Amino acid sequence: MSSVDTSAGLNRTAAAAAKLRHRAWYQQPRYQRLGAMVALGLLLTLVTGEQGSTDDLFGAIEADFTGPTVWVCLAITVGLWALREFVDEPVRRGWESVRSGVGGPANKVSAQVRKDPRLRWGLIALVLAVAIFLPSGLERYWQTVLVDQIAVYALLAIGLNIVIGWAGLLDLGFFAFFAVGAYSTAYWTGRLPVEPPVELNNFWVIPIAVVTCLLAGLLLGAPTLRLRGDYLAIVTLGFHEIVYLIAKNADGFTNGPSGARLVPDFSIDIGGFSYEWSLDPIPYWYLMLGFIVLLIILFARLEHSRIGRAWTAIREDEVAAAANGVNTVKYKLMAFAIGASTSGIAGVVYTSKVGYINPESFLLLYSILVLSYVIFGGMGSIPGVLIGAAFLVWLPEALRDYVDPQDRYMYLGALLVVMMIYRPQGVWPSRRRQRELKMAEEGMGDADAMSEPAGGKFS
Amino acid sequence: MTTDVTKESGTPVPGAAAGDTVLETSGVTLRFGGLTCLDNVDLEMRRGEILAVIGPNGAGKTSLFNSLTGAYTPQEGRITFRSTDGREHQLLGRKPHVVNRLGLARTFQNIRLFGALTALENVKIAAETRLKAGPISVMCGLPNARRAERESDERAHELLRFVGIEDKLNELAASLSYGDQRSLEIARALATRPQVLLLDEPAAGTNPTEKLELEQLIRRINSELGVSVLLIEHDMRLVMSVADRVLVLSFGKKIAEGAPAEVQRHPAVIEAYLGTSADDAAAVENIIAEQHESGETSNE
Ligand SMILES: Nc1ncnc2c1ncn2[C@@H]1O[C@H](COP(=O)(O)OP(=O)(O)OP(=O)(O)O)[C@@H](O)[C@H]1O
Ligand SMILES: [Mg+2]
Repeated sequence: MSSVDTSAGLNRTAAAAAKLRHRAWYQQPRYQRLGAMVALGLLLTLVTGEQGSTDDLFGAIEADFTGPTVWVCLAITVGLWALREFVDEPVRRGWESVRSGVGGPANKVSAQVRKDPRLRWGLIALVLAVAIFLPSGLERYWQTVLVDQIAVYALLAIGLNIVIGWAGLLDLGFFAFFAVGAYSTAYWTGRLPVEPPVELNNFWVIPIAVVTCLLAGLLLGAPTLRLRGDYLAIVTLGFHEIVYLIAKNADGFTNGPSGARLVPDFSIDIGGFSYEWSLDPIPYWYLMLGFIVLLIILFARLEHSRIGRAWTAIREDEVAAAANGVNTVKYKLMAFAIGASTSGIAGVVYTSKVGYINPESFLLLYSILVLSYVIFGGMGSIPGVLIGAAFLVWLPEALRDYVDPQDRYMYLGALLVVMMIYRPQGVWPSRRRQRELKMAEEGMGDADAMSEPAGGKFS
Repeated sequence: MTTDVTKESGTPVPGAAAGDTVLETSGVTLRFGGLTCLDNVDLEMRRGEILAVIGPNGAGKTSLFNSLTGAYTPQEGRITFRSTDGREHQLLGRKPHVVNRLGLARTFQNIRLFGALTALENVKIAAETRLKAGPISVMCGLPNARRAERESDERAHELLRFVGIEDKLNELAASLSYGDQRSLEIARALATRPQVLLLDEPAAGTNPTEKLELEQLIRRINSELGVSVLLIEHDMRLVMSVADRVLVLSFGKKIAEGAPAEVQRHPAVIEAYLGTSADDAAAVENIIAEQHESGETSNE
């Protein structure tokens, strides 16, 4: 072979290699992102556009894409893309300066609040004062939302926080205990087909419901808490479905699909003083606030006690915890039972306030919603889960006036997705949890209770 | 150095004289499928001694620890623990936390601390497992809960001082240096008031100074706290200097046992463990062949 041949061959190979290396414009990440944004714009058009109907299957789509909305949506998304791609640098610098401008003082304030107990108590007092005085100024509709939903979910979130936030047990059937509490109320006030031995005042139902839920929690927990992570999640999911189906199908006991009606309100009758909570949401709000504050006081002590530490130990490394004498099953059961009874209390109060229940009040969806409130707010932190519950319950109600009511939960979903991508630790995370997450990201630790550490299970 | 800890953990009480057997296994056999990981292991540990377990990689040392502490359940054999009050306990098949309460504490070959908690909290968790304060008294802030909190706090401070990291008690466990993490893990194990402490390669990954400190620490745990120590270690110098007796495992079998100097001269040990010559390699092959045969016969 001559040298000329070789060099020509080399040239050809180089050209082929260059061709392979070359990427068409549509393969570049920048234009791929443009494609994604255009798709998002079209999706946005569909979502915000006309409601479809079965008579005219494509009518809504046609209306959406011939009207002006499609252009508005595309302008927004493509505009965002252009902003990100071409004027990214100034925008980012501006954002950074805002962040350092706000972040510095904000961090200082939060550190101050953490250090100084007087400041912390002041803050708590302020929040309490707002919680006590604000609601009377609200419209009746918002008062009802506050009591029937926000307060109930706040209570549930505090309970679930113990199970998932502190003990690290993924419980997808938490709302089932709420149902147990609700049906206990209906039973003990004589509103179910089976007669109770005595009809009780709602206040007396609370301890009974707590014990019932505690037992239900133990009953479910004892055989299943040996399971880890995902298995436990499936079992609790199944448990929820069982409770739901019993409520629906055990006609003789639960009154089947029609449920219980006319459950009496809370009332007090002690030595001449008598009071009955009635349709007015405000007195119920104070009752709920009382329960929430009481439980927060009790549970806050748990977090930094031996029990809270044992939970953290189990969550971080179950094998090491057991090797150091922590009875892991006992502590998990404890978390499960305490969480369950909190859920039961919420069930009693809700049933008394609303006055009727049926199986559809206990769909699996609600278990998932409570879970998302806890994760959104920040697992393991009581203020976090309160914020999570309050904000995420409020959001769909507030959207009612602005978007198609049927789409409200879609916005909630989108918010959760965005939140999990950009701030997985939640709005106000607990410091322990935040550290675990950080360590897991740096590959040092094991924030995930489900996975095994490197090097095998027991070495 | 403080000796506060000594009072509580206690030198052996009368009735259980130093020198009697504290831990005894007979015929312990552990299999994973076809693999015999521990083969008829007999071990006798005297109260108050430092017993080292050595052997090549994969010999079954960690598996022995796991079997003793309840993480694994051997298919055959007996594990007897004689506590200071003179009672005998069968450990085989007990749950890990029960074994720990009886008086056996361990560390792990790959350090396993609770990384997101502080050093102090790590030790407190272990110290608290022996205290009694239920959720109700904790939630209501009853006096016994507060007393338990105070007690565990004091004890954790003492132990961190004992292992020499009291100045780092508020640091996160994961942010400590490797040597300090080892010390912390030992402090945590000691917090459960063990009678026997099982250390799985405590010197792995430590530098020469840390190794010397560790040697001191093991001696002090043994003499000041009166805790018997079962030690897995690859570092021969450390083993030869601290151990009272040495037990050699190879392919799951005990091949030698005795004083360090004796064991070092034992032909089987030289073959299986220290051997480097061609003859030794052949000897190892023989052992593998033997192992194979015995594995097959035991499977039948
Ligand atoms: N859970 C398990 N399942 C299957 N095989 C196992 C298991 N645990 C240990 N083994 C096997 O048992 C044998 C002994 O392992 P072990 O960890 O006890 O060795 P070792 O003496 O501690 O070694 P090293 O010095 O490397 O720590 C190895 O072959 C290992 O693969
Ligand atoms: Mg090992």
